Amino acid sequence: MIALGRGLLLALLLLAGPCRALAASELPRLVTMDWTVAETLLALGVVPQGVGEVAGYRAWVGTPAMPDGVQDIGLRAQPNLELLVEMAPDRILVTRMFRSLDPILSRIAPTSFIDNQAGETAWEAMVAQTRDIGRLVARDRAAADLIRATEGRVADLRAQIAYAGQPLLVVQFMDAVHVRVFGVDSLYGSVLERLDLPNAWRRPTNSWGFSLVGLQELVRIDARLVVVEPLPVAIDLPDNGLWLALPSVRRGDVLRLPPAWSFGALPSARRFADLLAAAL
Amino acid sequence: MIAVSPPAWASLALGLALLLLIGASGPFAAPDPTLLYHGWWPRLVMSLLAGGGLALAGAVMQQTLRNPLATPTTLGVISGAQFSLLLATVSFPGILSAGREWVALAGAAAAMGLVVLLAWRRSLAPVLVVLAGLVVNLYLGSLSIVMLLLHHETLNGILIWGAGSLAQSGWGGVDFLWPRLLVAMPLALLLARPLDILSLGDAQARSLGLSLPQIRLSALAVALFIAACVTSVVGVVGFVGLAAPAAVRLLGVRGFAAVAGWSVVLGALLLAVIDLLLQSLSGSFPLIVPTGAMTATLSGPLLLWLLFRVKLAGRPPLPGGAHLPSTHRAAPRWSPILAALAIAVLLALMTGQTLEGWRWLDLDQAEILFEWRLPRVMAAGGAGAILALAGVILQRLTRNPMASPELLGVSGGAALGLIGALFLLPGATAPSLAAAGVLGALAGIATVILLTRRSGFAPERVLLTGVAVTAITSGIQSILLAGGDPRGQQAIAWMSGSTYFVDMTVAAAMAAVAVLCLLVVPLFSRWLDLLPLGPATAAALGLGVGRSRLVLLLMVTVLTAGATLIVGPLSFVGLLAPHMARLAGFASARAHLLGAASLGALLMIAADWIGRQILFPQEIPAGLVASLLGGAYFLIRMRRL
Repeated sequence: MIALGRGLLLALLLLAGPCRALAASELPRLVTMDWTVAETLLALGVVPQGVGEVAGYRAWVGTPAMPDGVQDIGLRAQPNLELLVEMAPDRILVTRMFRSLDPILSRIAPTSFIDNQAGETAWEAMVAQTRDIGRLVARDRAAADLIRATEGRVADLRAQIAYAGQPLLVVQFMDAVHVRVFGVDSLYGSVLERLDLPNAWRRPTNSWGFSLVGLQELVRIDARLVVVEPLPVAIDLPDNGLWLALPSVRRGDVLRLPPAWSFGALPSARRFADLLAAAL
Repeated sequence: MIAVSPPAWASLALGLALLLLIGASGPFAAPDPTLLYHGWWPRLVMSLLAGGGLALAGAVMQQTLRNPLATPTTLGVISGAQFSLLLATVSFPGILSAGREWVALAGAAAAMGLVVLLAWRRSLAPVLVVLAGLVVNLYLGSLSIVMLLLHHETLNGILIWGAGSLAQSGWGGVDFLWPRLLVAMPLALLLARPLDILSLGDAQARSLGLSLPQIRLSALAVALFIAACVTSVVGVVGFVGLAAPAAVRLLGVRGFAAVAGWSVVLGALLLAVIDLLLQSLSGSFPLIVPTGAMTATLSGPLLLWLLFRVKLAGRPPLPGGAHLPSTHRAAPRWSPILAALAIAVLLALMTGQTLEGWRWLDLDQAEILFEWRLPRVMAAGGAGAILALAGVILQRLTRNPMASPELLGVSGGAALGLIGALFLLPGATAPSLAAAGVLGALAGIATVILLTRRSGFAPERVLLTGVAVTAITSGIQSILLAGGDPRGQQAIAWMSGSTYFVDMTVAAAMAAVAVLCLLVVPLFSRWLDLLPLGPATAAALGLGVGRSRLVLLLMVTVLTAGATLIVGPLSFVGLLAPHMARLAGFASARAHLLGAASLGALLMIAADWIGRQILFPQEIPAGLVASLLGGAYFLIRMRRL
């Protein structure tokens, strides 16, 4: 049922994408290095003129799909300046993370640095960020729709899920020994909270809401593991002593989820919620 | 009564600290058998094995190469391992399933093979081995950074390896390492006698019937094998290999066997103590603090402390001759260099890729030319020339071919300032980052000068101090990068330095300073001709050694601080350009200065342009491309020596 709903939604999105883009031809030309902004723009039906590391976006963020015509503007950390001058965008749109590029980008086009950490919780920050972007590209309505649709979807999922097992521990493998564990302030953590699912990770996290730890830190936490792909190349789930000793591995209830961009915005959050709900 | 020697005291102290820490943190504090068996014990054993192994490797290499700064890192082993891992991860993930250790080991072996090949014709003369290693190192290091910039998301795991985490999740790593160390360590001891004889000098060693290349090759092979095995398992654990033998020698131990033995003991204990301390602190941080990066950070102050507590007694002999053997007697030719410079400037100003492919600049595109291209060309050329001048002064002053302005502590300080501002001040804009860089550079300079003042700025101390400061800063960098913060890519881009942020004001200032330097620095040619002859000779010829050293040192640091902020601490123009100038035949101090400055400017201008075009639209920072270009020239020329 859920899978069917997702398929339908995807189809709708695919159909809707190009139509909206056509209608958007009179929109300002926008450029962003920031994949988080890019996924939000695409979800609002605005196709940016240029995005940093387009191939990387397709590999790591994936959905919403980046149309073919979007120009690659180079590294996210230092986009190609002469190319930007030639493209003459109306506005450059990035999150505050790229503040270090400030005076140089403003020489090319008006640059907006969106605050991506406003709000009490990670979820509120994503909502506020979506609203800001919507306002900046004159798509307030679309932004409000996206927020409502995402929150509605997540509320539906919460009603469907009846989970009474161990608290969850959402991890991403970095190598055979080290994992990122996601706390409440991360995208994954905020989705868990919205879905009313218990998060077992209570230790301090960095400003992106995760902790980088060795596997040994997980041994004494009785939790169900949620491993978010991709796994590092050529490391399938490890077969070393510590991994096999983890409570969840011993019970054999480890969940594996397909990739969802952990630094993303509402579209990535929704994707993660769908994937998690389908797996539980 | 037996007199207990200083190294024994040091080991005893460290051993006691280790026992205390074990008592406080290990089996007694965390009585979880799974955790102890699969995590805690293998990690303790691993830290002892790795520390001992790296210290031994360092001791062997310092003896063989007669250079107190030599470590396994010097000869490209670690950058070889790292590059092969990055390459495999991005392009050939399939082969990683054979085991990460084997990929790293193969990369390390290939890098060492290249070094040996380059230095073979001169029977592996120390200077040449060190230089070859340095260049291979730079080359692979720059390639690695390019890959990190392009594939930042994919390579996060390798950044943890690069910071040297000792965390274990079973006995697999220990099982891989101990049999290899068991074979290699006795081999190193077999080499003790020939290595002692080697330190008497080449002629002496030959007259005693030793085959120099054979001894050197086997010693280096043993050292590098140990280092490569350790590195492939635990990642880059820097500085133990440098600090442990240096500490042992500073404590007054002589003779290779004793130095090597005490180094193993001290290195193993040191790494284990640091690792246990870090483990007891972990949990209070959201990011792991990898032990390798931390040893670098901590061993820096340790080395500094020893350096100033103890007289430099029992130091290893100075490098055999500071410069490349000069086979090039023909007068250098200026015309090809100047022609190349003109072509590079023209290409950089007039050509480039656009949305429609390659284009020659139209005359109506003055904005592109003056606003975006000219400042970059001016800044690149100016910074290249300035760093090259600083490099010539420093190499002549210290009589060490590895001396590089990038290693003076100035650049380390600048990098730390930048990266600190980037991570700690979320809203920092480019000018405030640059200001943080200046502050960091000044702090770096101040540290080096304050700490070496008492010794009259003795070159060896200046270099070691610089290396220690650089180690501290690079350790902190690795920790921050390993944490997986998305701002890591920006940090790498800033540190690799580029003319990206330069506007006309900064560029004009840079160019003006460069011209001023070209006029002023050659006035010091006489000092720079005399100082390489050694302090005694220079003083006999009427030179105030302490005073001239201070003046030159100040000049170098100021020059480097300015240029580093433009091209970043990861460019090695200041190291490469002086050697390139010598290879091209510029011998006297004056010619050496001018030749190196022109080559440095050429290198940077070409690098800046190529960096913007080669992977268009990605811009590769000029400092990285300069290392690749300069390194290539160097490798080609070196084969003909």
